[in-house]
Amino acid sequence: MSRLGRVRAQTSAGWRSFVRRRTAVFFTFFFPVILIVIFGALVRTDPAGGGLFAEPPAYYVPGYLAVVVLFTPLSRMGSEVARHREGNRFEKLATTPLTRGEWLLAQTVVNAVIIGLASLLILGLVVALTGAEIAFSPFLLLYILVGVVAFCGVGAILGSYTDSQDGAIAASNAIALPLLFLSETFISLEQLPGWFEPFVDLSPLTYFARGVRAATYSDAESAAVAGIDPVIANLGILAVVAVIVFAIGAWSIPRTD
Amino acid sequence: MEAEAVVEAQGLEKSYGETVALSGASLAVEGGEVFALIGPNGAGKTTLVRALTGTTEPDSGQARIMGDSPTSVDRSRLGVLPQDFSPPDRLSAHELLAYYAGLYDDARDPDDVLADVGLADTGETRYEDLSGGQQRRVCVGATLVNDPDVLFLDEPTTGIDPAGRRTVWRLIEELAASGTTVVLTTHDMAEAERLADRVGLLAAGSVIARGTPDTLVREHGGASRLTIETTADLEAFADLEYPVSQPERGRGRNPDNAVVVRDIDPAAIATVVDYLEARTIVYTGLTWSEPDLEDVYLELADETELEGTDRASDGAEGTNLAQAGETA
Repeated sequence: MSRLGRVRAQTSAGWRSFVRRRTAVFFTFFFPVILIVIFGALVRTDPAGGGLFAEPPAYYVPGYLAVVVLFTPLSRMGSEVARHREGNRFEKLATTPLTRGEWLLAQTVVNAVIIGLASLLILGLVVALTGAEIAFSPFLLLYILVGVVAFCGVGAILGSYTDSQDGAIAASNAIALPLLFLSETFISLEQLPGWFEPFVDLSPLTYFARGVRAATYSDAESAAVAGIDPVIANLGILAVVAVIVFAIGAWSIPRTD
Repeated sequence: MEAEAVVEAQGLEKSYGETVALSGASLAVEGGEVFALIGPNGAGKTTLVRALTGTTEPDSGQARIMGDSPTSVDRSRLGVLPQDFSPPDRLSAHELLAYYAGLYDDARDPDDVLADVGLADTGETRYEDLSGGQQRRVCVGATLVNDPDVLFLDEPTTGIDPAGRRTVWRLIEELAASGTTVVLTTHDMAEAERLADRVGLLAAGSVIARGTPDTLVREHGGASRLTIETTADLEAFADLEYPVSQPERGRGRNPDNAVVVRDIDPAAIATVVDYLEARTIVYTGLTWSEPDLEDVYLELADETELEGTDRASDGAEGTNLAQAGETA
């Protein structure tokens, strides 16, 4: 009861703090919307032609979702950790029963709710604006949840090792932008130089993209991993990464000066 | 160390690169006692509080709270107000206290805590919309939600107006009366003198003097003084039967416009007035005062600063003021 109570108190405070930052709320939802409008509706995909964005609209669903699953936790967690450090909030929390893992879990719950809502908006817009034909698999929810856990961990690490909110946001952008485009989200592996493949394989977002695509896009030619269904295998890999990164993120949160 | 110390520090040392924050700091605070740490900026007060609460790791030495190390002590029994603490500012005062209360299994009603810190009517106001003093009182309230046995308050009344300060003072007095052990840091000597059972003066990372305010004043405060506001120079007082000097800088008076007569009984003030009138020395005011904690602070902190300067210029070991000033 006590652990649950602590996480609930922290989650409630984190949620209220977020929803009362109107600018943050607006841009959290506006950013993916504008991306879909630009790439999905204005540029439009062209399955018959070559070059970028030549795949059917449903192919890019993991990319659109990645915009919030990757960017939002990284920038929010990075700046939240930095804000806590600047206000000596961790110094205060270190003297309460709340553990670092509980704090990060509460922040992850807040992010999961925000990103869940943003994902619903994205899926609706993608279908409405691009006519994408996607399957709504329950695995989609799992991928979003596990992805949020993983990238909240990364965000906590960034916030812990940068010296300010500005630094945390700059670092999160520097990491998120290459990952977003080089993780088989918008650009397939065949369109990248061969020597790039190991880097793509190192990105946790790659497994998110492969798994979500396998779960939602029936025409996707997703490869099985060691004979295991790609939806389950990629989720498993992402979950392992999430557990490791979450643990490192929790450990990184400062308890002392 | 005292037999029943609830908070203990022994030989704490802490450096940040070349900067020495703590240099063998030791203290012991008994249960139910209010212990005030005073000292100049950079003396190490906040680092000492952090070492005692487990939010900084000392390089060497030992700290204990209620017999446990600061990192393993039951945190539900501690209340800590860090310096420059800024809680989530989009929450109302009530929500903030409810948030911190929610981190404990057994917590007080946030409304009661708000009333204790004199903010019963502003519970629904967001923290960001409160005045600086009200914000600080909410922060003090956040340390009380778990009804702690040991309370650490790092400059609790900074930025609070006199009325609010007195509310916090009364609160601390009530907590102490109910058995809560309080360690606080302050730059306000009146606060230390009013609240503290004992005071520790920290300078250059060491507790150079500690004792009850009365003991410290008696042993280090110097003599009573009569301050004469005048532009006459010291030579005009050469025949006065009491020692005369210019006031120390930092005591709020311009040394060029005042003369201080030391070690004088109030009954003898008439003698000084006669002296002034006999020599037609123009003066605009006379103020007699007993030594107080501020005198102790200025005397010992200045000594330490001078000692540090001497050491730096001579390159030699100076007197161990940490030993010389022990009066506990």
